[in-house]
Amino acid sequence: MLDAFKNSVDYLSNPTISFSLLTVLTPLLFPPTDWFDKINRKLRLHLLWTKTGCAISMAVITFFFAVGFLDENFSVILTKADNFPIILMFYSIFFCTWLAMHKAYINDERLEKGLKPSEYNDPDDKVLVWPDLVYIEFIALILFTVFLVVWSILVAAPLEEPANPASTPNPSKAPWYFLGLQEMLVYYDPWIAGILLPIFCVVGLMAIPYMDINKKGDGYYSFKERRVGIFIFMYGWIVLWLFLIVLGTFFRGPNWNFYGPFEYWDAHKVVALNNINLSEYFWVKLLGTGLPDNILLREFVGFIVVGIYLFITPVLLAKTVLKDMVKSYGLVRFGALMTFGLVMLSLPIKMYFRWIFDLKYFVAIPEYFFNI
Amino acid sequence: MFKNDERYWDINLLNKWFAVSSIIFLAVTVWVFVDDNDDEFKTYQKEFRKMQIKIAETKLVQDSTEIASDRIIYEKELAIAQENFDDRKEDLDLLEKELRTLKNRHYNENMLYQGQKAQIDALKFLVEADNAHGASHGPSHLDDYNTALDKLDNLRLIREGTEIEISEKEQIIKQIKSQVKAKKDDLDAFTKKYTLTKNTLEKIDREKMTIGNQIGDIVRDLPILDFLDPYYKVHQIVVADVKYDVNFAAVPTVDRCTSCHLGIDNPDFSDAPQPYTTHPNLELYLTSSSPHPINNFGCTSCHAGKSRGTSFVSSGHTPNTPEDKERWKEEYDWKKDHHWLTPMLPTRYTQASCFNCHSNTSDLAGAEKLNFGLSLVDKAGCNGCHHNEDWPTQAKSGPNLKKVNEKLSEDWVAKWVKNPRHFRYNTRMPAIFEQPNQETEEVTEYNNAEIAGITEYLFNGKDKKSGSNSKRFVGDIASGEKLFNAIGCTGCHVSENNPELAPHVDSYYNLTKVQGPNLIGMGSKVSAEWLYEWLMDPQAYMPETKMPNLRLEPQQAKDLTAYLIKDKNKPFDDLPDHKYSKEVLDQLTVNWLKKSNPEKYAIQKASKMDELEKLNFVGEKSIRHYGCFGCHNIDGFDDAKPIGVEITEEGSKPVGKFDFGLFHDIEHTTHAWIENKLRTPRIYDRGKESEHLDLLKMPNFYFSEEEIEAITTAVLSFNANKIGEKLLAHKKAPDIYKKGHRLVKQYNCQGCHLIENRGGQLVDQIGKPEYGPPNLHTEGRKANPDWLLSFLNNPSIIRPNLQAKMPSFHQISDEDWDAIIAYFQHMASEKVHYRSEHQFDTESTEFAAGQTLHEIGQCNSCHFYGEEFPTGDAPTWAPNLAMTKERLNPDWVHEWLKNPQEIMPGTKMPAPYLPDEAVLSAKGAINDWGSDLIKLNGDTTKMLNGLRDYLWNIEGSNNIDDLVKTYFDKNGYDFESSDGDDDYDDDDDWDDEDEDEDDDW
Repeated sequence: MLDAFKNSVDYLSNPTISFSLLTVLTPLLFPPTDWFDKINRKLRLHLLWTKTGCAISMAVITFFFAVGFLDENFSVILTKADNFPIILMFYSIFFCTWLAMHKAYINDERLEKGLKPSEYNDPDDKVLVWPDLVYIEFIALILFTVFLVVWSILVAAPLEEPANPASTPNPSKAPWYFLGLQEMLVYYDPWIAGILLPIFCVVGLMAIPYMDINKKGDGYYSFKERRVGIFIFMYGWIVLWLFLIVLGTFFRGPNWNFYGPFEYWDAHKVVALNNINLSEYFWVKLLGTGLPDNILLREFVGFIVVGIYLFITPVLLAKTVLKDMVKSYGLVRFGALMTFGLVMLSLPIKMYFRWIFDLKYFVAIPEYFFNI
Repeated sequence: MFKNDERYWDINLLNKWFAVSSIIFLAVTVWVFVDDNDDEFKTYQKEFRKMQIKIAETKLVQDSTEIASDRIIYEKELAIAQENFDDRKEDLDLLEKELRTLKNRHYNENMLYQGQKAQIDALKFLVEADNAHGASHGPSHLDDYNTALDKLDNLRLIREGTEIEISEKEQIIKQIKSQVKAKKDDLDAFTKKYTLTKNTLEKIDREKMTIGNQIGDIVRDLPILDFLDPYYKVHQIVVADVKYDVNFAAVPTVDRCTSCHLGIDNPDFSDAPQPYTTHPNLELYLTSSSPHPINNFGCTSCHAGKSRGTSFVSSGHTPNTPEDKERWKEEYDWKKDHHWLTPMLPTRYTQASCFNCHSNTSDLAGAEKLNFGLSLVDKAGCNGCHHNEDWPTQAKSGPNLKKVNEKLSEDWVAKWVKNPRHFRYNTRMPAIFEQPNQETEEVTEYNNAEIAGITEYLFNGKDKKSGSNSKRFVGDIASGEKLFNAIGCTGCHVSENNPELAPHVDSYYNLTKVQGPNLIGMGSKVSAEWLYEWLMDPQAYMPETKMPNLRLEPQQAKDLTAYLIKDKNKPFDDLPDHKYSKEVLDQLTVNWLKKSNPEKYAIQKASKMDELEKLNFVGEKSIRHYGCFGCHNIDGFDDAKPIGVEITEEGSKPVGKFDFGLFHDIEHTTHAWIENKLRTPRIYDRGKESEHLDLLKMPNFYFSEEEIEAITTAVLSFNANKIGEKLLAHKKAPDIYKKGHRLVKQYNCQGCHLIENRGGQLVDQIGKPEYGPPNLHTEGRKANPDWLLSFLNNPSIIRPNLQAKMPSFHQISDEDWDAIIAYFQHMASEKVHYRSEHQFDTESTEFAAGQTLHEIGQCNSCHFYGEEFPTGDAPTWAPNLAMTKERLNPDWVHEWLKNPQEIMPGTKMPAPYLPDEAVLSAKGAINDWGSDLIKLNGDTTKMLNGLRDYLWNIEGSNNIDDLVKTYFDKNGYDFESSDGDDDYDDDDDWDDEDEDEDDDW
C-alpha cells in the first residue's frame, strides 16, 4: 500500500508528468475564464480556499513529508540542512496563496452582493503609524529573529569540503533559490537560461505596474476582478519558478538525472540523451540530405520559427482575438506585454518540444555559441 | 496622548504580544549563550580536571610519605638555626634600622648627584659652543663648568661612601640570616617534588584555592569574559610544516585534538579511558625528547582526520572495527562526514602516515606493517602494472620468459597460466583466469583461446623443451636433501607439499622464506638437465635472475637435482591437455581486429590468417591486455607501458573516484575499497554487463588477511600530503641509501642475514648465530669498502666453520654494489668512505703488550693465520686473521675487541682478558704479564690498540678456500655437527663477518 503510494509519487514526479499536471491544474485553480470557472465549480476546486480546504491541504503536505522522513531514501534528501528552506517553502507558499485566495473569495461574494470589500476603511478614518503599524512590525521582527536564531542553533550550517576544481560534487547544485534557473539550463543555452530569462523576469516584474491598467482590486483582495492577471502570475510564479526549485531540490540527483523522491540516488544511473536540432529535423530527417555548410542557410528554418513566434504572433493576436485589448492598452503597452508574455511562454513550449520531440535547439549555431 | 479608541489595534493586546515575544527572545538569547558555551570538549576538560586532581592528590600523599621521615631531620636543623637566629634578633633589628637610615641618606645623595650631573651636561654644551664659535655672546662658561665638575666629584664621593656603608651593613645582616637560609634551602630542595605537586593541586583544585582565586576561577570561564584567559578552552597546535591543502592554497594544519585528548602526552594517564589516555608510545611520539615532538608534528600528520574539529563527530574519527562503529553510533551519534576528504585513518592503518616523511625505507623501526606492505608491493610486483613515482619498481618480480622454451613444455605453461595454483598452492603468480567475473561459458571459452594464444606466443618460433633426464644429471637424493638444508637454499626457498606446514606469510620475516618458489613438483615441471645447468649457473639461463650462483661442485649440483626432481605433481600431470575452440579463437581474433578496423575488414583479415597466426595474434594482444609483461620479460614487450592506474597518490584519491560497483555492501571508504580489491580483485564487476574485453582484469594474488592489511597500509601511504622539507626524514639521507636498501630487499639479503634487526630466518633455522650467516649490524663501519666490494664480487671463505655459503651475485653491477655498500655505511653512521692505511709502530710498548695479550688469549686456537690452521677442531674455526688488515676498519676492531657481544649478540668470540692495574701490580706480575703490559699500567685503550696493531702485523695468505676445502674433502664435514658442538665456548669468531660473507663448509 505504502509502496504503491511511493511508486506512484515517484512516477508522477517525473518532470513531464508533474509539470503537465501543474500546467493543467493552474487554470483550474485560478480560472482565467468563465469556462475554466465552470469546471472549477463542477470539480468543487474552489473549496480549497475554505478553512477546511486549508486544513486538509496542510495535512496532505505534512503526510507527504512524514512518509518522506520515514523513507530511507527520501529522508536523506529531506534532512539535508540545505533543503530545510524548501520544506518551509511548501507551507509558507501554500498558506500565503490560500490566505489571499480565501480573502479574495470573500470579497468577491461581498462585491457581488454590492457590499464594500472587507478591507474597506473610511478614508477619513485615520490609522496611526505608531503604534498601529510600527508596533506590530516590531513584534513581528522580534518573533522572526527568534525563529532565525533557533534555526541557527538547531541546524548547523551545511558546509562542505573545500572547493576543488578537479573533483566537483555530483550533483552540483546551485543554492536553493537558484535551482529554478539551474533547471532552465536543461532546456536552454546558458546565455538564455542564465542571462536573458532572469533579466526578463526581473524587468517583467518591475514592468507590471506600468502594464496593469486594471484599476479594480486595488487595496483589497479580489480574484474575479483580475482573474487573468492572477492566473498568468500564478503560472509563472508557482509552475515556472517554485516548481522548478522543488524539482531541482528533490528530484534531481547525480548527473542531474531525474530521481523520484522515494528513489535511491544511484550514481550509475544512465539516461539516454539523444536530442537533435531543428535544422537536423529539417535537412536530414525531412529532406534526407546533409546539413548545408552555410550556417544561415542551415538554420533558416529555426530563424523563421523564432521570427514567427516573436514577431508575427503578436500581430496576428492584435488583429484577431486581442483586438479590444490593443485598443485599451495602446500599441506600446501591448507590444511590451506581448514580449514578456511570449518569452515567459517560451519556457514551457521549449520544455514540451524537448520532451515530445527530443528537440535540442530551434536555432543551433554552436560555432558562435548562439543557440535558441 | 492618544485616546484608545483612535487606535486600530487594542494596545493592551499588543503590549501582551510584545511582552511575550520579548520574553521568548530573552530566553532564546540565553539559549544562544548556553549553546555557545556548551562545547563537548569542555565536558571532557571538566572530567579531566577531576582526574588530574585525583592523581595529584594521590601523588601528594605519596610524596609526603616518601619525605615524611627525613623531613623531620631537615626541619629540626632548620629549627636550631632559627633559634640561633632568634638569639641575635635584637642585633639584627638595630642593624636594619641603621640600614634604613643609610638608605634614606643614599637616596638624597643620589638625587643631588643626578641634579648636578644634569647641570654639567648643560654647561658642557655651552663650553663646547664657545669652543666652536668663539665667546662672542658674553663671558666664558669654562670656569663655571670646572667648578661644577669639582662639585660633582664631591657629591659622587659622598654617595659612594654611603654605598660602602650600606653594603657593609647588608653583609652583616646576610651573614646573620645565612644559616637559616641555607637550612631552609636544604629543606626546600628536599621537598621540591612535593611542593611542585602541591602547587599544581592548588592551581587546579578549586577547594584548595583562596577565596579570591576561587572567584577568579569561576569568572574566567563566564561567557564573554572567557576571551581573556579561560581555563576551559580549545587547545590547539599549529603545525607549520604540515599543510592542509584547500586546493587554491595550502595552510598550516591546526590540530585541536588535545582539547579532548588531554592526557595524551602525560604518562600519568596511561590507564585512563579515552579520550584522556596517554599515547601508547611516548618514546617515539609527542614528548619533546622523542623524534616526533607534538609541537612539530601535531596529531593529524599521522592520524589524519579533521584537525580543527572540536567534537567527536566533527573531528572525523573513523572506527577501526564494525563493533567500534556500532558503539560510536550509540554513544556519540557518530556518522561519517562525507564532506571531509581525509577522514582519520582507522588505527590499523595509522602506519601509512610514516611514509609521508620516511619514504626511503621499508625497514622503519616501529612501522612493521608498513615495512611488510612495501616489501609485498615489491614482491607481488604491484608496480609492474601500477606506476608509482615514490616507490618505483626495482625489477620485474616474475621470471624472464624469453627462453621459457628451454625450461618448460607448452602444455605445462598452458595449464599453469590457466590456474597456477593447480601446480603450486602457494605460488606468487597471481591467477588471471578462473575468476568470479569470468564464470560464464562465453568468457571461459574466450579465456581458453587466450591461454592457448599466450602459450603459443611465448614459444613461437623457438625450439621445444629438449632437456634430458639422463642419469648424467642426477646424483644422490639423500645427499641432495642434506645439501638443500645445509648450504643455504632455505634462505630463500622452501620445499613443502603440505599447505598447513608452509610458511604463513603474515610478516616480513616469513616473506623472506618464500623469496623463491616453493620447490615442489619439480619433476613435473623441468628436466634434470635443465635443473642441473640452472643450479650450476643460473645466470646462463637468465642473466637478471635474483637466484645467485652457489658455486657448486658438479656432484653437488647432481645431488641437489636428484633431490628436487624426485617430487612430481601427479594431479597436475593428470589434468587434461589444454583445449580451446577454433570458432572462439576466430571470434576473438575478429574482436581484437575490430578494435582498430571496421568489422568487414576485421573479418577479411582474420580469414587470411592461419590458426597459428591467430594464436600468436591473440596471444600478443592478451599479454598486452592482461599486462603479463608487468612481471615477466617477454619478447616484444620491452618498452610496453604499465596497464594499471598510477598509484603514486592513490591514498589521497577522493573516495568518490573509486568505483564500488552496483552493490552497497562495501562501506564507502578508501581503505575498504582497497581491502576488497586485494581480497577479490574482480569484486567491483558484480552485476555488471560487460563485454569480455571490458571485464576487470587485476589478477588474484590470494593474499592472506595480514598481507591485505599490510598492502592496504602501503597503498594508503602513497598520498599527496604536503609535508614541509624540515620534517622529511628521507631528505636527510642520500638517494643512494634508498637504492641500496631496495637492492638488499630485492636480493633477499635478509633471508640469511639479520640487517637492521630484521630477517635472518636462515640463522634461526640453523639455530645458533655462530653457525649461521653473520649479523650485518655495523657492517658499514666494520668493513673496508674496497675489500667489501671485492668480496661481494668474488666471495671467499671467511668463517671456515659455516656450512651455509655466501653465494655469488654476479648479476649485481658495480653501481648497485656501490649503492648497497653506501646503504650499509649509512646504517652504521659511517661518514668516511676512504681510509688511509692504518699506521702503527711495531717497536712500541703497546705493540709488544698486544703481542703478549694475543699469546695469552690463544687466538690461534680458533683463528687461521694465513695458511696456518687453528689448533682447535673444525667447528670452532674462526676467520683468517691474515685478512684483517685488508678487511676491517681499525677503529671498529678496537670497538669489537672491547665487547664482541654488543656488536654481534651470540658470537663465540670472547672479549680478550685485559689485566687491570691491581693484577699488574701484584707480586710476580712481571713473570705472568711481562714488562710491556705492566708499563701500560692497566690502560685498556692502549692494550686494545696494541692487540689490534698486532693483528695488523699478521702476514699470510688471504685466500684459504682451497686449504679448507681439501681439509673437509679429506676429513668430511658432518652436516649435523653444529647441533652437537655446543661445548666450544672458548671459540670465537671475532671477526665476524661482514655482510656477505662466505662461508665455508
